[in-house]
Amino acid sequence: MNNSLFTQLLDLACGAFLLAAVVVLWRRELAAIVRLFALQGLALAAIALLLGLHEDRWDLIVVAAGIGALRASLLPYLIRRALDALVADRTRDQDGARAYTYSEEVRETEPLVNVAASLLTAAALTLLAYAVARPLVELDPTPATRALPVGLAVVLIGFFVLVTRRRALAQVVGFLLLDNGITATAFLAASGVPLIVELGVSFDVLLAVLVLQLLTARVREAFGTTDIDDLRELHD
Amino acid sequence: MSVIPAALATATALGVAGAVAGLVLPQRVRSAVVGVLTAGVGVAGGTAGVAALGGSRWAAEVPGLLPLAGTHLAVDALSGLFMAVAGAVVAAVAVYGVGYVAGHGSHGAHGLGSRGAQALLPLFALSLLLVPAAASVSTFLLLWELMALTSLLLVLAEHRARPAVREAAVWYAVMTHLGLVLLLAGLMVYAAQAGGETFAALRAGTAGISPTVRGLVFVLTAVAFTSKAGLVPLHAWLPRAHPESPSAVSALMSAAMVNLGVYGLVRVGFDLLGGGPAWWWLLVMAMGGLSAVYGILQAAMASDLKRLLAYSTSENMGLVVLGVGAAGLFAHAGDKALAGLALAAALLHVVNHSAFKALLFTGAGSVLRATGERNLDLLGGLRARMPVTAGLFAVGALGAVALPPGNGFISEWLLLQSMIHGLAVPGVTMAIVLPLAVAVIALSAGLAAAVFVKALGVGFFARPRAVGAAAAKESPPLMLAGMGLLAAGCATLALVPGLLGEGLDRAVAAVGFAGTQPVSGGGLQVRLHDVSAQLSPLWVVAALMVALVMVTATAGWAARRRQRRTQARLWDCGGGAPTPRMAYTATSFAEPLQRVFDDVLAPEQDVDVTPVRESAYLVERVKFRNRVPDRIEHRLYRPVLGFLATAGQSARRLAGGSVHAYLGYGFFGLVTLLLVLVVGW
Repeated sequence: MNNSLFTQLLDLACGAFLLAAVVVLWRRELAAIVRLFALQGLALAAIALLLGLHEDRWDLIVVAAGIGALRASLLPYLIRRALDALVADRTRDQDGARAYTYSEEVRETEPLVNVAASLLTAAALTLLAYAVARPLVELDPTPATRALPVGLAVVLIGFFVLVTRRRALAQVVGFLLLDNGITATAFLAASGVPLIVELGVSFDVLLAVLVLQLLTARVREAFGTTDIDDLRELHD
Repeated sequence: MSVIPAALATATALGVAGAVAGLVLPQRVRSAVVGVLTAGVGVAGGTAGVAALGGSRWAAEVPGLLPLAGTHLAVDALSGLFMAVAGAVVAAVAVYGVGYVAGHGSHGAHGLGSRGAQALLPLFALSLLLVPAAASVSTFLLLWELMALTSLLLVLAEHRARPAVREAAVWYAVMTHLGLVLLLAGLMVYAAQAGGETFAALRAGTAGISPTVRGLVFVLTAVAFTSKAGLVPLHAWLPRAHPESPSAVSALMSAAMVNLGVYGLVRVGFDLLGGGPAWWWLLVMAMGGLSAVYGILQAAMASDLKRLLAYSTSENMGLVVLGVGAAGLFAHAGDKALAGLALAAALLHVVNHSAFKALLFTGAGSVLRATGERNLDLLGGLRARMPVTAGLFAVGALGAVALPPGNGFISEWLLLQSMIHGLAVPGVTMAIVLPLAVAVIALSAGLAAAVFVKALGVGFFARPRAVGAAAAKESPPLMLAGMGLLAAGCATLALVPGLLGEGLDRAVAAVGFAGTQPVSGGGLQVRLHDVSAQLSPLWVVAALMVALVMVTATAGWAARRRQRRTQARLWDCGGGAPTPRMAYTATSFAEPLQRVFDDVLAPEQDVDVTPVRESAYLVERVKFRNRVPDRIEHRLYRPVLGFLATAGQSARRLAGGSVHAYLGYGFFGLVTLLLVLVVGW
């Protein structure tokens, strides 16, 4: 692979990676958000694969495959299953199979910050990420480090999703976006992380999602909704 | 040369062995084994200290023991002095502690005899010995914190018996850690500026630090060290923690731990920073003088025996720090000889105070153990019931009153000598400060006499005023042996203080007053080198004895001449025979003093008269309450605590229970930080 092709492909993957995060803010359907998350996982896997191919490191290619399996298929599948469980619970005595699409629980109907403002904020956060990363990029300006701000921007956007979205599953996706951003930053800044570290982080994330999936179902059972602001009653 | 490392290694090994023994041994043999091992720690540490006082020095670096910084140890004569004092106190108190725990009935299981307390006691003793040996900032802070934590847990030993213990421990925990924070900040700034964290690097780097930073470092560390020494205004933990801890622990804290505050002040102020401008030392002198007068006044008002002793610790540490401050002032004025003399006097007073205060606290512990009572108003008559304890307590009290033939007299005399001769040093500051300092020393000495006459006279003489005191029995021999050792120490210091002369000279020389040799002389004499004064304590004592015998003989002869003696009942105003409760109590003894110092102490008095229902002229009941609150504590601590409580309450509104809000704090914090970084660069 020659250098200019590598640069273009890397920029493409990073662009897709960032765009997926921004579109998460735009869409309200939880199902669509999960699909976007899967897409972002794919982009992350592509970043890792490109870096591995460029530097001829087989361990990075293995990591890329692992990331693809976990973040583009396993995690979205788990969240999707939690979503279906919520819907099945609600439509058990209704007849229409597609009726759930517009139910309360599967839509982020009323985020704390509306969609237009969210998109503007995402732009501002991306600018901030580029401004913050400037000294880091100047240290060693390679194609990979030039894309570093993208990782930071996704961290900030993921955090923003956590702060502003009401549904528990949207929060889970926000948390995963943040984690994707951290992983991407690590790849771009250090040309990949050792296999063992990535393995540990992946298991952590998997475990977190499994726990959150259970928790969401329990919250739904106990409170009748997954709007986490209704958990306010729990403080002393 | 190799005495010091061998002794320190032995002390460490014994201390760790004692901690393990305290944890694993059954209760039957626990206190005996731990006591023997702790006494061993004291003897070994004291040996190292005496060797260092004798002129040997030792320094070592153990790289692997602590991560990153390594452990640096060094012992010079100044460390040696404090190690010797701590070692002697630890050894005597350990012997006392064995007797204190044994046969203490049900108290022993939860108090000092418990598994945890017995495991901590050797560690506390060890930390007391090792703090002066630390030679780098990290080692020093680590050992300092070990000392604070072990002492804190030991203060808590009797928490099941009395709820007041917990409150005292909270005060102590908060104040000792505030001190640690200040110390940490001060020493970190110092190490960063000096470019190294070993004491040698600090010493070398001091010259390149700006005066402002040096002043900041000194103020931060001085406040932290004076708080540990129990000086006003950061003394509030001391009159709480000392009375509430088991008496053996009180003795260790009051006679060995507070000294290390003085050690830190001398080490950082003179040795590392190499002295400084006059305002540093005027600040130190002001704190010392204030503590001396305020501490002894509060002691005069206290009727709780251990609280009285705790305030007296505050007073004596105040006098010591006054001497240290004077030394700094003289050094700044260029008179090294006088500076050496003032510092030597202060250090000698540290030694003397440790001896008599350990004895007094162990004596108070014996009284408490025999009667279950700390309130002097309810004691009395113990001289007949516990004659040995009473005699030993009297020796300690004699030391504390700063009159011959007590040991406190000699150091306070030296201190006064240095102040009076300091007037020869030119300068307006000197002309104002030194007479004030002399007045402070004289006033506190006078009040101390009243305080200890009260403690001894009301507590031990006359007739018992309550059941507990009437049923008191003499303490077991081991306790008396421990107290006897301390009393022997007091007597030695009182009669032949010259033994310490050479050691004191070396300790003073170790912190930058080399070649002054302020105090020298043979075993029987204290001769001051550069000012013409000398004292032979032994002759003073002999003269006193002769005078005493003559006065008693004359009085006896006069009494025998007037043979006519009739037995009659005491005039009781028709109110029935006087009971022991009507005798002088501690409160009534202190009342005149309370009147004299009314404006300073601001006592609170309530008189509550309930008349009989039928007639306003016939009184059914009169209730009188008299309290002397710690005024500085009220004025200074109340507002701070109140503000903190209000702030805490209003901060609860931030935690409204919304997960989004909590996440938002983190998000906005992060974004703000990034923005600051972007704009800043």
